[in-house]
Amino acid sequence: MIEVKAVEKKYGRKKILKGVSFTAKKGEITCLIGINGVGKTTILNAIMALTPINKGQILIDGKTLDKHTFEKITFIPDAITMLPHMTIAEAMEFMDDFYHCWNQERATELLGFFRLNQSDRISSLSKGNTAKVNLLLGLALDVDYVLMDEPFSGIDMFSREDIANVFTSHLIENRGVIITTHEVGDIEHLIDKVVLLDDGMVSKEFSAEEAREIEGKSVIDVMREVYQR
Amino acid sequence: MTVNFNNRDPVYLQIVRYFKEQIVNGVLEPGEEIPSRRELANRMKVNPNTAQRAYKEMEEQGLIYTEKNHPSKITTDQQVLGNVRNELLVEAVDMFVTSVRSINVPVEELLDLVKEKYKANVDKEA
Repeated sequence: MIEVKAVEKKYGRKKILKGVSFTAKKGEITCLIGINGVGKTTILNAIMALTPINKGQILIDGKTLDKHTFEKITFIPDAITMLPHMTIAEAMEFMDDFYHCWNQERATELLGFFRLNQSDRISSLSKGNTAKVNLLLGLALDVDYVLMDEPFSGIDMFSREDIANVFTSHLIENRGVIITTHEVGDIEHLIDKVVLLDDGMVSKEFSAEEAREIEGKSVIDVMREVYQR
Repeated sequence: MTVNFNNRDPVYLQIVRYFKEQIVNGVLEPGEEIPSRRELANRMKVNPNTAQRAYKEMEEQGLIYTEKNHPSKITTDQQVLGNVRNELLVEAVDMFVTSVRSINVPVEELLDLVKEKYKANVDKEA
């Protein structure tokens, strides 16, 4: 389980996170929702210890992130971090050299899953295929937790469908996934849990199925209540 | 196996409902193997935990059964199958009655019309 406990974060004088708390379980897809600039990416960066926090605590399976636990978790940013002149195969080799937990078998499977050609250069890829390579490089790591920053943002409909298929496949089986998005529409049925962020705080944390079952509300209904009051 | 889920009913119950319809329509036969939970999640584009929950619900309702290390199968229990048919029928009739009640039509006149329309519909399909 990832536990984010009363996390505060300032950029200069501006408080971005004002005491954010939520949990994300293994085997579940947790969706962080909030309008742009609410601090979604900051939270993911904080979980990865890529940015220091001012207050609070973040635990991964009960431990803070350090050199022993960092290979339990991976962060897939919304832009590719590989050099543009690299081919997909070279990017995969780079990952293999860099991470102990790189799983070549799964990487090969992901190439097929996303219908990617490994001799293609990163610079030659469409936006949708770039996003898929980005996901491939993260999902091919044998980690327990995967953080994805806006995996659907700015991508065509068919690529979105391909990416959404990851969430219903064995590729994330038994893993804990946190994804951020500001647009929940086409993934409403794919997520387990929703964390709504507003003004640097968690305004609501709920199970998508429970909202439907107990209150008869869609995730978007709940979002409307929170953001339009 | 594409289902248009609505956003306001629990997805797992919508999956159970889909299976009941398939059973009543004869698309799924008693004793027929059904996809694994993972496969169903993949085909229906739903969360795997939700698919799991739907299967658990169907097992509890006796709609499907699972023997160790085998795929789940549709029940062969005639009583359960009869109940499913009955449940869907009563539900459909309830909906119909609710919607015609406001028109305030005598039940005899309504039944005649139902018979007429039913026959026309069957003839059209044949």
